[in-house]
Amino acid sequence: MEADGKQGQEGSPELSLRPLDLSDIDDFMVWATDDKVSRFCTWDTYTSKEAGIDYIKNIVIPHPWFKAICLDNKAIGAISVSANNGNDRCRGELGYALASKYWGKGIVTRAVKMVASTIFNEWPHLERLEALVDVENGGSQRVLEKVGFHREGVLRKFCILKGRCRDMVIYSLLSTDPQP
Amino acid sequence: MDSGTVTLRPFRVSDVDDFILWAGDDQVTRNIRWKTITSKEEALTFIKEVCIPHPWRRSICIDDRSIGFVSVYRWSGNEICKADIAYGIAAKYWGQGITTKAVKMAVSEVFKDFPDLVRLQAFAAVENKASQRVLEKAGFTKEGLLRKYTFLKGQLKDLVIYSFLSTDITVAVDDKLL
Repeated sequence: MEADGKQGQEGSPELSLRPLDLSDIDDFMVWATDDKVSRFCTWDTYTSKEAGIDYIKNIVIPHPWFKAICLDNKAIGAISVSANNGNDRCRGELGYALASKYWGKGIVTRAVKMVASTIFNEWPHLERLEALVDVENGGSQRVLEKVGFHREGVLRKFCILKGRCRDMVIYSLLSTDPQP
Repeated sequence: MDSGTVTLRPFRVSDVDDFILWAGDDQVTRNIRWKTITSKEEALTFIKEVCIPHPWRRSICIDDRSIGFVSVYRWSGNEICKADIAYGIAAKYWGQGITTKAVKMAVSEVFKDFPDLVRLQAFAAVENKASQRVLEKAGFTKEGLLRKYTFLKGQLKDLVIYSFLSTDITVAVDDKLL
């Protein structure tokens, strides 16, 4: 069926992942300026285009794995995998954000499946793809569960998000787990 | 028979001969990142350059003689609310409740030394049942199993993660754990 996750049904827009670049800045600002989107993210809602441009130049472009989630090649969100060094090189952390008007349509689930099906081939040293989700972020927990991530536990008061110490659910998908 | 008084104190250069007895033992260093110490010189350097200047490392002592260590590593940035605790003691003192006692003392001291610390966490290799029992007896909460989490001495490890929160202290005192 959807081997590459591109089309849900006949006639529906094509979903793809590609690098995010400066020409996407206006589309980036759509989700980056939305409090609903930034709510559970480590970044604060963007308030200026300059800050958005700096972010794309300094963080996104040099990033080891950062893609725009695109519908008909228009960026509507982003998905990334962070790399670790030394003894921790076996694991990478997944992160994603999607413009709120596109929530609830299974788009992030499809994007995460696409990442899960290629990242272990692109990074042969990667054994574990993990994700940390705020306990109150039910939508994001459902995405990971639908893709087949294992819920390993709740890490109490694990990190500070928007000035508060949060309980985070930790999920993992191993290279040896059945691929989604 | 009384096992002697268990105390925590900073390391001293004069601990070197006792230090080698446990830090030079592969059994003790197996599940920590320390390389097994192989000479008195190495031990002296390690005590002077690592153990003594460390932001929070204590010698576990019996009758003021060093039989092990407990360290706390604080995170920074948006992870400043948490710290990692690690420990090890000489094999001849295993299975006697000494490590548990030392960890309980360390937990109490650390939350006093770092009043803004919210979470103390510990990792134990899935096969290291003894260390898991220490943490459970010391009042830590088991949170889950992290699969293929990190390399330790070249081996990919599954680790059990535990935490002790600053808010757990009152509970532990009430339950007479601390």
